[in-house]
Amino acid sequence: MDSVMNETKVHPYSRGVSIIGVGCTPFMYTVDNPETNGLTEGEMFGYAALQAMEDAGVNPQKVDFYFHGEASPLNGSNYLTPNIQVANWFGMKGKASIHHSEACCTGYYAVEEAVNAVASGKYNCVLSGCVEFGDSLAVPGHPYKREKMTMDKFLKTTSWLYDRNYTRSLMAGQELIYDDAAEWYKRTRGLTDQQMDDTLNRMCINNRRNASVNPLALERRTYEDIAKEKGFDNVMDYMRSPYNPQMGDFLRASGVELKCDGAAAVIVCATELVDRYMGNKNHKAVEVLGTGCAACEATTPHFEVSATKEAVRQVYEVTGVKPEEIDIFYANDFIITSHLISAEIAGYLPYGEGWKYICEGRTAYDGDKPINTNGGRTSFGHAHAASGLADLYEAVRQMRGEAGAGQVKFLPKTAMLRGYGGAQNICTYIIRTAE
Amino acid sequence: MSVKLEKVVETFYENLEQGRITGRKCKQCGAVEFPPVYACNSCGSTDMEWVEISGKAKMYSIVMPAPLSMKPEYKSLGKFAYGEVEIEEGARLNAVVRGMTKKKRKEIMENKKLPVSCHAAIYQRDGYKTVVFDLDEEQ
Ligand SMILES: [Zn+2]
Repeated sequence: MDSVMNETKVHPYSRGVSIIGVGCTPFMYTVDNPETNGLTEGEMFGYAALQAMEDAGVNPQKVDFYFHGEASPLNGSNYLTPNIQVANWFGMKGKASIHHSEACCTGYYAVEEAVNAVASGKYNCVLSGCVEFGDSLAVPGHPYKREKMTMDKFLKTTSWLYDRNYTRSLMAGQELIYDDAAEWYKRTRGLTDQQMDDTLNRMCINNRRNASVNPLALERRTYEDIAKEKGFDNVMDYMRSPYNPQMGDFLRASGVELKCDGAAAVIVCATELVDRYMGNKNHKAVEVLGTGCAACEATTPHFEVSATKEAVRQVYEVTGVKPEEIDIFYANDFIITSHLISAEIAGYLPYGEGWKYICEGRTAYDGDKPINTNGGRTSFGHAHAASGLADLYEAVRQMRGEAGAGQVKFLPKTAMLRGYGGAQNICTYIIRTAE
Repeated sequence: MSVKLEKVVETFYENLEQGRITGRKCKQCGAVEFPPVYACNSCGSTDMEWVEISGKAKMYSIVMPAPLSMKPEYKSLGKFAYGEVEIEEGARLNAVVRGMTKKKRKEIMENKKLPVSCHAAIYQRDGYKTVVFDLDEEQ
């Protein structure tokens, strides 16, 4: 018998909702650079929000409401109500807002929440933004200084992601996040140890290649260049070497997120009102066709796989879109394996063949099945809450043909994005360029 | 109203102190919730009763601990792995299985022997007892 998994029937929106503007800061270690050291929540969130409004052609006063996401506001910012603390920074003083946190899935629920608010009919135009200082902590008592986040301090808070009553006590759920999906994929698809290791390494290489042509990405040096510097002619020899140590049962160091600081935002409005809101902006709006969401607490076996299957089932059912219509795919891959398993569960890559597409480089930005063209969590960086909206920023830029050197080799019309995090939420959605 | 405001968590841990590993069985559909909670996740009923589990179980997946998934306090577990475990009563959960080694896993995977039998055990942690599983001898 399989693990118990309740399903949800999702219904179409009461009215269509479209993305008309996106904004994103560079992902960075703010404290390490004198130019960025001292940046605040209001400045980061405000930049992304105002950039999204400018991109949409919308004055802040036309925006009805905003959602604010931050994974760890108490620990990172010493705030209980972080949405209120940034309220005066982007011209919306007095307007209502709400804060939400789904940890690493926050930036995906940011889309779900904003779309629902407009689809319901209550609001016509909504801002949804996220900010995170994943690499630094507010210095208590000082108005803007921050200090570097140590690994000890970070791990203390990640334990808070897990159920105190049973999961932490049973010791398995919180530890399986690193390798459960790789174990599942390798076993069910029949890969050898070497094939699995190569696939994980190739995803890291592809992510970094994508990041190398993205000016907002945190790490832009390709693994090929790093390998050469360390004296390796073949990048795979470097990836298999002690320079890239085994950190999990399957996972190597290159496959783990680079936690950092960043913010991103999106403006959505009712599809029927796009022309009114966008004014003289001439880019096409991108419609949110639907979302699918599920969650499995960490003691649930194969939590990521099960919740992704259910969320994907919902989004295909409610939108009527077929997997073969998806032109470009994004997955929150703070553990690199997510990128492979979610693309395959979504049918973006064929069952049992996804690892080959990855190893052949077909999922890099210049391939025919691009995934995480911004560089993903292991290269673009992971500013926890903000990463999901950074993925949306990248997807929309690709769909408009505005991705510059990292533009994929065709103009994607339909994209799927799959968020994951918070031990464990899954939120996936499909967007399509308006006709 | 059939749901009662009661201390399920404390009862679970107190039962462990007395050497009993317990879950809650749904009187409507027979599903067992382990670890125990208020309502049945299989049918939604709140008509639940405490049951002692037999301890017999099967392990369906094997993940070995590694630097990222190891903590100093886990050392006293000896050799172990993480994985998906199904107890005889049907509930599935992520759990620790003691007695698993890389060598044993290799043998199990190469000979397609999953699932492998194991049984529940009470394990003392710092200040409370919890549940782990032990690989059965014959593997
Ligand atoms: Zn039941």
